[in-house]
Formats: sequence, C-alpha cells, structure tokens
Amino acid sequence: MSIAETPDRRPLWPRVGRFLERYAIWLVLALLFVVAASLSEAFLRPVYIGNIVRQAAPVGIAAVGVTLVMILGGVDLSVGAVISLTAVLAAIVMNGEVANIPLAIGLCVVTGAAIGGVNGVLVAYNRISPFILTLGMAVVVTGITQIFSGGTARGIVSPGFREFFNFRIGGVLPVLAIALLFIAGLGIWLQRATSFGRSLFLIGSNPMTARLSGLPVERVTIAAYALSGVAGALAGLALLARSGVSSTFAGRGLEFDVLAAVVLGGTTFEGGRGGIGGTIAGVLVLVIAFNLVNILGLNFNAQLIVKGAIIIAASAAYVIVKRQQ
Amino acid sequence: MKKLLSLCAALALAATVWTPAGAQDETRVMIERQSAEMVDTSAFAHDGPITVGVSAGYLSNSWVVFALQHIRYEASLHDEIEDVLVTDAGFNPAKQVADIEDLISKGVDLLLYWPVDDKAIEAALKKAVDAGIPTINTGGGFVASDGVIASAYIDQWNLGEMVARRLFQDMGGEGKIFAMLPIAGTTAAVDQLAALEAVMEEYPGIELLSAEYGDWNRAKAKQITENLLQRHPQIDGVFSPAGQMSIGVAEAFDEAGRLGEVTMSPGDEYNGWMKWVAQHEQGGAVTFPTRVGQDALRIGLQMLRGEPVRRGTKIPSEYISPGAAGAYAELDRPDDWWASNLPDAWKPE
Repeated sequence: MSIAETPDRRPLWPRVGRFLERYAIWLVLALLFVVAASLSEAFLRPVYIGNIVRQAAPVGIAAVGVTLVMILGGVDLSVGAVISLTAVLAAIVMNGEVANIPLAIGLCVVTGAAIGGVNGVLVAYNRISPFILTLGMAVVVTGITQIFSGGTARGIVSPGFREFFNFRIGGVLPVLAIALLFIAGLGIWLQRATSFGRSLFLIGSNPMTARLSGLPVERVTIAAYALSGVAGALAGLALLARSGVSSTFAGRGLEFDVLAAVVLGGTTFEGGRGGIGGTIAGVLVLVIAFNLVNILGLNFNAQLIVKGAIIIAASAAYVIVKRQQ
Repeated sequence: MKKLLSLCAALALAATVWTPAGAQDETRVMIERQSAEMVDTSAFAHDGPITVGVSAGYLSNSWVVFALQHIRYEASLHDEIEDVLVTDAGFNPAKQVADIEDLISKGVDLLLYWPVDDKAIEAALKKAVDAGIPTINTGGGFVASDGVIASAYIDQWNLGEMVARRLFQDMGGEGKIFAMLPIAGTTAAVDQLAALEAVMEEYPGIELLSAEYGDWNRAKAKQITENLLQRHPQIDGVFSPAGQMSIGVAEAFDEAGRLGEVTMSPGDEYNGWMKWVAQHEQGGAVTFPTRVGQDALRIGLQMLRGEPVRRGTKIPSEYISPGAAGAYAELDRPDDWWASNLPDAWKPE
C-alpha cells in the first residue's frame, strides 16, 4: 500500500474540533439564520437575502480594512469619520455629472489612503496608542468634513451611480452586494495568499520577534492602515450608493458597528489571529439581528433589548463552540 | 421562542417611560400659558451699535446652517447691528458654556442660542441675563427658565398634527400606516407621535402598524422600511414629518415595487424631499421653517428697544401641496438643502 493509499486514521474529533474553531462564527450565523427563518419567512426570500447583504455593504467593506489592522494588533477608530468625509466628497466632485464619477471615486480612494497612511506612519514611528491616535484622527477628519462642506452635505450624485449599484442581477442580487463580496474576497486573498498577509499575522502575534526576524514592521503597518483608509473610502462610496447624500455625519457611529463585527468574527484586539471571513459573518450576524427584531414588530425598546441579547448570545455561542474543540 | 420574545416585548413595554395622554395635555396647556406671558424688557434697553452673539450648540447640519444664514441676513437689514459673533460648540455642552461666557466677555448686547443640552447651559445663560444681555432660545422647543428671556420655537406637536391630518385626508380616512420618527426620546419624536395618536382618535379607520425610529438617518429609515415591507403585506400610508427620512422610506417602497399602493405624508422642506414630491406629485410638505433665525433676531431687537415681548413666539409651520412643490424644489442644489426665502446671495456657500 502506498502512502497515498494509506487511510487517514487520525481521530475524528480533533478534526471536527479544528473545523469548529475555524468556522465557529459561520455556524453561529447559520444557527441565527435558521432561527430567523423559523420566525419570519422573509428570510427565505432571495430578494430579501439580497437586501440583507446590500444593507451590510458599508459596514462590511469598512470592516475588511479594520480586520487587517486588528490582525496586526492595532485598531482604526477613524473609519466612521472617513466614511462621512468620502460620501460628502464624492457627491461634491460628482456634481451631478456622469463624467465626474471616475474622478470622484479616485479622489476618495486617495483621500482614504492618505488618512490611513498618516495613521500608519504615526503608529509605526511614534508608538502612539492606535486607539487614541485613530480616535483623534476621527475628530480631525470630522472637523475637515465640516469645514469642507460648511455643515451641509452639498453635492449632487451623478445620475446612474446609485442606479448601477442598486440594480439587481437576476432580479435578486444587488450590484452593491456583489461589490461587498468581491472586496471581501480580495481581502481574504491578501490575507491568506500574500507575504503581506502572513506578515500581518506574524507581527500581530509577536512584534518583537517579527522585527528581529527582519520583517519590515513599519512598512507593513503603514500599508495596513492605508488599506483600512481605502476600505473606509470605499465604504463611504457604498453608503452614498445605498442612500444618497444626506448629511455630513452619515458615517457617525459606524466605527462601533465595524468593531463589533470584527470582534464577533473572531479577530481580537491582541492581534495575530482572526480573519476577514469571520468578519463578514460577524457583519451578517449584526444585520440579521437588527432586521429580525424589526421584522418581528417588537416595540422599539424591546428591539434594543432583544438585539443586544442576540449579539451577546451569538458571542457566547461562538466562545462555547471554540472551547469544545 | 415566539412566546419568549412576546414576554420580552411586554416587559420592555412595562419598563418604558409611560406618560398618560392626560399628563401630556396638561404639559401643552402649561406651555401655551407660559409662552403667552408678556416679558418686561425695559431693563435691556440699549442705545447705540449692537453686537449680536450666536451660541450654536452645533453647526453640523444643514438646517442650523440655514437658520444661521437667516440671522445674518436679518442683521444685514439693520444698520444698528455692527457685528454678529458666532461660536460653535460642536455638540459639546461644556464647550457651549465656555462659548457663552466668552460671548459675554466680548460684550455682546444680545444672545441667540440653540442648545446641546438645555440644563447644562442654564447657569451660563443666567449670567448673561444678569449682565444685562437678553437671551433667546432659537429654533428648539419652548423653554421657561430664568436664563431664557424668550423662545422663538417651532411646535413639534402642531407640526405632527398638521402632517397627520393631511395624511389621513389623502388616505380617505382609513388604512394601515406606520410612523417613521426621529431619535427616540427627543422632543420631536415624543411630540410627533403624541400628535399622531391624538389625531388618530378622530379617524377610527386608521390603524397604526408600528412606530419606528429612523434617527433622521436616510439609510436607517430605508433599512427599517425594507423590513416592514417584509412583515406587512398591506401598508397604505406612512407618517414621516422629516423629509430626509421620507426619501429613504419612499425608495424602499419603490424598490419593492409597492410605491403605487402607499400614500406618503407631507415631509418637511428638505430639498431632497421637495425634489421627490415635485417628481412624484404626492406627499407635500409641512415646513420646519429655517426663518426662525430671522424671527428670533427681530424679537431680540424689540427687547433692545425695551418693548415687551411674548415669552414664547411660535413660528408657524406651513403646508406646501404636492402641486406647489416644484416652486420650492431647487433641482440644481444638493438634497441636503432647505427651501427658504433667503436671497441667493445669503444662502450657504
């Protein structure tokens, strides 16, 4: 019998355990989905599923970038402010003209990258706490948004921009939902298949060892934060596509949804572990929890209680599943 | 599971702050009585050039930006007004206290303000009054305190009542509706819901499916509506006085292919909503007038002439029909803009 023909005689349970550890949040998501579907048949309608993924797009796209930073052992609290700025900036640059769309998108991406890059440089070379730094950056970016806009979300979205992203392929899946899945896929590829991605985990696990091993810690840090800024900018464009230009504070508070999704998905503040796949599952858990309490027709205050309980239960279930292995 | 959730809902309802309808009516009567009181302002009479101070609790939404422009425009019409000094507290109550004290030390003759937190700035406003500077609450709800000489306010209950009556008339007096309200617990949300429920008593054929809180956020209002469309196969009307949220609600109906079966209530004169109304010829608007800034300044000038003023001046909301919306909508302006009678040169840059 050749090696290739040798049957796998490893015990079954450790393999099952590793599977559970890796995909715990997805199991939790599946469980929540089953519960939701049993309570409301809306969750069995493909069009509504498409809606859910579309609703998740702004937070999900931003969370892709923040996941990379948190794997590194950092955090990015400026993402909500970046979303607000780029949503306003894009609408102003578009000025109602289709021809301005590429410039608007390009300018937003550059802006997000620049803000993230500044965050990265300060974290990498000044050893400032990323929590405090990015919080401060959020305040700065908010001020810039107010000065730039004068307090009104001036700007007119180009015709066709929103229509394109809200168009449903096959009458089911909005383009914006596909954009989320594409960006998540890109992030997963970056995280798993590139040396940059491996560096993130190594630096996040043990920065000192990573530095002594010759890894370019500062460059990787700057790149990670810049990518988070880019993701924030794309999230701002996603928000603009979803709901148009409405205020200069469109992204306010979204940084907390992003953080909740990332942590729920298994990426911790300690760094060195987690991943974008889990983050996307975390985003979907949050969106389904919100939608479920809404669809059940609960009183507003009851919605808050039940939504919080679902998130706590999901987190607890995730920890239990991981411990079982 | 459904029973557990129902129990949670019942507990939450019991835990919710509950104000009997009778108590709400008493509050309204008290406000009407207090706002009708005349205030002797002879102590504030002032000769010579006037410096107006504006303590803005925040300047980061388009409505207050327009209200401020109305103040500036009104000031330009009076030669005796030398300067308008504006501070922005950026939603920070402690900073607004400091701002007011700063304006006092700069020797302003009149103080207009809109608060982040009424209680937080009470003492600072009293200091202004004690220094001989009359104070006017601009654009918020009515305030009765020693530090506030007068209020130029917009009655959210009145606004809600006008919106509800117009909606129910447009619906023929019957059907199922839901309400899209602002941030839970705010005066706007509480008063608008109370007004809706009061008018509903006159229309027994109207059923309120749900009261939701969209937080003045277009995306959130859209998401909530998408869920409600899944839950309720029949929705005949929407009560949504805030135009910014109304757009999100209408979009959700449109994307679900159900716009034709719903009657939208009037929103406000938010430009994005006015554009929608002009295009779809339904809904209309009940205004939340930004010209409250001009009215507040005029009241302030009366005070500086020593003339008696009402403690509360209600700035009336007006109804704009769907047919007239085209005259108010500015198609070449952003959605986050307000229909107003400001001259073009005074609109925000």
